[in-house]
Amino acid sequence: MSDTDRALSRRGPARCATALRWDRDQLVTAREGDTVSLALLDAGILETSRSAKYRRPRGAYCLRGDCGTCLVRINGLPNRRACLTAVHEGIRIRPQNRLVAGADPSALVDTMLRGGMDHHHFMVRPRVVNQLMQGVARNLTGLGTLPDRMPDAPAQHRVLEPDVLIVGAGSAGRAAHAVLTDGGCDVVWVDRRDRDGIVAEANAAVSDALLDHTGVFGVYVAEGLWAAMRDTPGQPAVLYSIKPRHVVVATGARDPILAVPNNDRPGVVAARGLLQQLRRSDATLAVPAVVIGEGAYATALADALGVEALPPADVDRIEGNPVDAVSLRDGKGKRECQLVALAPLPAPAYELARQAGAAVRWHGGGFSVQRDQRGRCATTAFTVWAAGDVTGYMGPQSAADDGERVAAAVLHSLR
Amino acid sequence: MPRRSFVCRCEDVTLSEVDHAIALGLHEVEELKRYTGLGTGPCQGKECISALVKLLIDKGLADPETVQPFTARPPTEPVTLGALAAGLAPDAGDGS
Repeated sequence: MSDTDRALSRRGPARCATALRWDRDQLVTAREGDTVSLALLDAGILETSRSAKYRRPRGAYCLRGDCGTCLVRINGLPNRRACLTAVHEGIRIRPQNRLVAGADPSALVDTMLRGGMDHHHFMVRPRVVNQLMQGVARNLTGLGTLPDRMPDAPAQHRVLEPDVLIVGAGSAGRAAHAVLTDGGCDVVWVDRRDRDGIVAEANAAVSDALLDHTGVFGVYVAEGLWAAMRDTPGQPAVLYSIKPRHVVVATGARDPILAVPNNDRPGVVAARGLLQQLRRSDATLAVPAVVIGEGAYATALADALGVEALPPADVDRIEGNPVDAVSLRDGKGKRECQLVALAPLPAPAYELARQAGAAVRWHGGGFSVQRDQRGRCATTAFTVWAAGDVTGYMGPQSAADDGERVAAAVLHSLR
Repeated sequence: MPRRSFVCRCEDVTLSEVDHAIALGLHEVEELKRYTGLGTGPCQGKECISALVKLLIDKGLADPETVQPFTARPPTEPVTLGALAAGLAPDAGDGS
C-alpha cells in the first residue's frame, strides 16, 4: 500500500517500520509503537469482527480499552484488545467471529429481521426449532476460539500488601503517585494500558514503578482483596492479590456510545480515544472525518482533530460499510467522511469503586462516585479514595489537581 | 444493512428493542438488562449504561436523583482462566 492510500499522515522523525500479518495472508506495513487498532485504521482495515446477534460488521470503537469490539486474535490468542496492544515485528492478527471476509452469508439475519429480534419469543416453539436455533447461535456467536497452543509458562501469582494501591495512571493517578512516593509511602501503582500509551498521554516520563498492562478486575471486600492481572504480550500472565490499607481509585472516565442510527459501522470511533491514539503515534488524519457531539467538550475535540462537529440531533444516519458519509436531517445535506468520531461526555469508570462499596449518582453523562470532602468514598477492610474524572468528568488539568489533593489527604491519614 | 441505532453493541441491543421491552412494562435498569441482554457482553456495560439511563430519564421512567446502574461485579477487566487458576495453586502463599 502506498502512502497516499493511508488514513493517517505522520509527523516527526520516522519511527521504525514494521509489518503485521492480517487475516493469514495480508501484509500491512505499520510503525513500531502504533497500537494494532491504529495500524489497521491507518491501512483502511476497519472491520475486525461480526456482531453477536445480527452478524453486522464491527470494528474498534473506544480505542482505550473499554468497549469490547476491537477484540481480535493476536499471535494465536483470542480476545486480545487491539487498541491496547502495540505492534511488533512478526505480529499475527486475525479477525474473530466471522465466517468469511466480505459478504458474510450469516448477515442475512440482519436483513431478514428488520424489525428487531426478541429472543424470548424468536424461534422458541416448537422445541425442535428452538434446539436448531440454539445450535446455530452457539456456533455463530461467542468470543473467538481457544488459543492455538498451551502458554509457554503457567501464570504466576503474587501477593502484595502495600500501604496504598493506586488504580490508574491518568492525570489524577500520576499526580497521586508523585505525592505518595514523595511522602515515603509503600505504593503499588497499576494501569491496564501499556507504558507507551501512558507516556504519550502524560507527555513526560512515567515512573518505572508503574505496573503497566495490569488491570484490576475485581474487588473482594470480605477478603480485603483487590485482584489484578498483568497481561504483558509475550510474557506469562501474573495474577496479583493486592491487600492494601488504602486505595486511590483514579480510573478516569469512559467514552460511552451515542445512540445515533448505524452507530455500529466500522469506522465509527470515539473522538477522545482517536485523539489519544493519534498523539501516541504522532499522526494526523489524512482522510475526511466528522465529530458527532454537542457542547464545548465536542467542539474542543473536533478542533483538536481539525474536523467539523455535528450535533447528534441533526444526524439522520451514518452511511456506508465502512463509513463513507453522515447524512443530516431537514435538508442539511450530507458530509462525506471515512471516519466518524463520536464525542459523548465521558462517563466516570465507577465500577471498581462501587464494588468496593462506594455510592454512585447520576450526573449528566454518567454515574459519578460520591465521596466526602477529603476524598474518601468507602471504608471497610481498606479505605477507598476517589480522585479525578471518576468523581465526574473534569478534564486532565483539574484531575491532576484533584489527584494531588486527595493523595495529600491519604498521606495525612497514614501518619 | 437495515438502519439500527445501538444502545449495546456487544449484545446487539437497539433503541427499538429497548422500546419494545419498555412497552412490555419493563422500566427498571435491572429488568431491561435481564430481558434484552444489554450490558452482559465483553465490555460488561461500560459502553451502554449511560445511553440506557439517559433514555430512561428522557422518557420520564427514571428519576435522575435516585437512579442506579446495574450491579458492578468482577470481572471488570478481562482476565484469563489461567491467571485465575494461578491464584488457587497451593504454593500461592496466601493459603487460598
